[in-house]
Amino acid sequence: MDWNLLFSSYANVFLDPTTLLMTLLGAAGGVLLGAIPGMTATMGVALLIPFSFGMDLIPSIGLLLGIYCGGMYGGSISAILIHAPGTPSAAATLLDGYPMAQKGEAGRALSVAMFSSFCGGVIGALIMTFLSPLVARVAMKFTSAEMLMLAIFGLSVIISISGKSIAKGLISAFFGMLLCTIGLDPTYSKQRFTFGVTSLKGGLSFIPVLIGLFAVAEVIAGVERIIAGRESAQAKSNEKITRVLPDFQTIKMTAGNILTGGIIGTFIGAIPGAGGDIAVFVSYAFNKGISKHPEKWGTGIPNGVASTESANNGCSGGAMIPLLSLGVPGDSVTAILLGAFIMKGIQPGPMMYVSELPTVYRVFAALMLANLAMLLVGCAGVRIFAKIVSLEKRMLYPIILIVSLLGAFSINKNVFDIGVCVFFGVIGWLMNKYEFPLSPILLALILGPMCEQNFVRFMDLNHGNFGEIIHYPIAIGFFVVAVGVVIFSLINQRKINAREAANAAGSVQE
Amino acid sequence: METKKTQTKAFANLIISVLLLVFEVWAWIQSTAIKTAKNATVQPATFPQIMILGMGVFTVILLIQSVMKLLSMKADDPLAQKAETLNVFKDRGTLAALFVIALCALYVYLFKDVGYVVVSFFLCAIIMWLIGLRNPVKLLLISALVPLGMWFIFYKFLTVNIPMGILQPLRDLVDMI
Repeated sequence: MDWNLLFSSYANVFLDPTTLLMTLLGAAGGVLLGAIPGMTATMGVALLIPFSFGMDLIPSIGLLLGIYCGGMYGGSISAILIHAPGTPSAAATLLDGYPMAQKGEAGRALSVAMFSSFCGGVIGALIMTFLSPLVARVAMKFTSAEMLMLAIFGLSVIISISGKSIAKGLISAFFGMLLCTIGLDPTYSKQRFTFGVTSLKGGLSFIPVLIGLFAVAEVIAGVERIIAGRESAQAKSNEKITRVLPDFQTIKMTAGNILTGGIIGTFIGAIPGAGGDIAVFVSYAFNKGISKHPEKWGTGIPNGVASTESANNGCSGGAMIPLLSLGVPGDSVTAILLGAFIMKGIQPGPMMYVSELPTVYRVFAALMLANLAMLLVGCAGVRIFAKIVSLEKRMLYPIILIVSLLGAFSINKNVFDIGVCVFFGVIGWLMNKYEFPLSPILLALILGPMCEQNFVRFMDLNHGNFGEIIHYPIAIGFFVVAVGVVIFSLINQRKINAREAANAAGSVQE
Repeated sequence: METKKTQTKAFANLIISVLLLVFEVWAWIQSTAIKTAKNATVQPATFPQIMILGMGVFTVILLIQSVMKLLSMKADDPLAQKAETLNVFKDRGTLAALFVIALCALYVYLFKDVGYVVVSFFLCAIIMWLIGLRNPVKLLLISALVPLGMWFIFYKFLTVNIPMGILQPLRDLVDMI
């Protein structure tokens, strides 16, 4: 490592006013875009890439990385405030973020999300700076066998997010995996469950399903609660936000979750095809598993928010690793970034570390700056964002509904997607009513296509002999860890049920 | 007062299990209609069928758990609590929820022809009225300004072309300015 070059590259980036301004603008745009359900960081980067044509490389990369990091955090804002994850990577943040907002701690949840996002991003950027060639070499050993087992490992966390009934959680997960098979089969293009509907040939769009299951379902349930007298229509949060960053006690309490989340996010982000949406659930389940009080997870604790938000921003650094080291994008945003590099005449790949080392270091610095810019924008915005929940429910619910439905439309500009969103709103409402957890469906929708495609590819390559998997040590490693996670989660769930039963008995005696 | 067994969460789980089993049988029949691919090691129908089977196994487990629970349920059991109802005659909340769902279905139907701003105005205003907002100024202002603002942001800044239906001249005006 050339330390002098590294420091001069950081100074070069941090002291350049154009790069500072562009990164800050990118972060602000990313946070706002991420907060709108249906708008993802990928769309933000794609939208703004034409603006970067006339700029030098580093300011333009700063702008795009600002959107990327800002978008990752922005997704948590709507997840916490209105139960609608702005981006798929924020899907697990609502597990604890929304209950925190319901308890009148929306500002605290936002500040924890922001601080964890920043720390996760910094962890990702540091790992990228010091370990990128090493991590990239491991990530590139991933074939269909490893990807299949990675998907199975991801699915093994379902038990942790299933709530009280594991059977219901697994029914939800298999239902989600079944939903993924709607449309043309990815290998042979045969129609499955399309019922002659042309719009179903491409399968169900993830974002409308996500918005429907969470936001629309919450609005329907909210109206039901108000009319039935179980919730006040005038209810609103009166939280006074005295600080924009979490207090020392909260930081101390969540430090471990942030660190593990950041590391998990970076390593999962480094695997091409796997991204923040998978990392957040893995990090959540891991941190819940090692927690002394797993029964508190899902009830609105900062640890849940910290573990997921650090993971998704850690992914931003992770996804850059294969991009810079091997020229292989880790996710859709880095695929667009790859285009930006090529447009500027730079070909990412192993030779970049030889011929363009100063550029590589400046990209590392730009990512660090993007995370800092996101923190600044986040700090400025916490009070404004938290105002949303100070609206009365009778105004908030209809507004959430029309914004969500527009978000569902905007992803493909297709009215059919609004129908899908409403349909899954009804499914989500019914599932909530009868205590079926929604998160397993989400995880299954993320991992289902990855699981099927790699399963089919592996079987084709090995002439239908699944036993060949034993020749793939990384895959076997993932499988062993997945089995371990399942056993551990089952034991943990028993512990949670026993503690809850004891608490219930205690409250009855009192 | 003790809840009737047929009104408990355990009984609701039993009914849901039966309905899910019916759905799974239907899905399996549908999956048999998926065309086969020549020389394929894994047929296009294989993966969905594995998922249906998986769902079926856990549905049967839920069914057995529910039956066992109903046979030996104590009053303080969490599953002995009263389950939520879908009976619109007994629960006004459910009736309101179904009304909102019907409004949403109508919204989807009218979205393209009437346009986002107008359908959203009506959807927003009706739901606000339904859940108790009686101030006409607030009701009309929020219902009109939020969809207009969202349309403007999506159209001008995010370049998403949203159907405007009968308000098409407004878009022409914005384009002209």
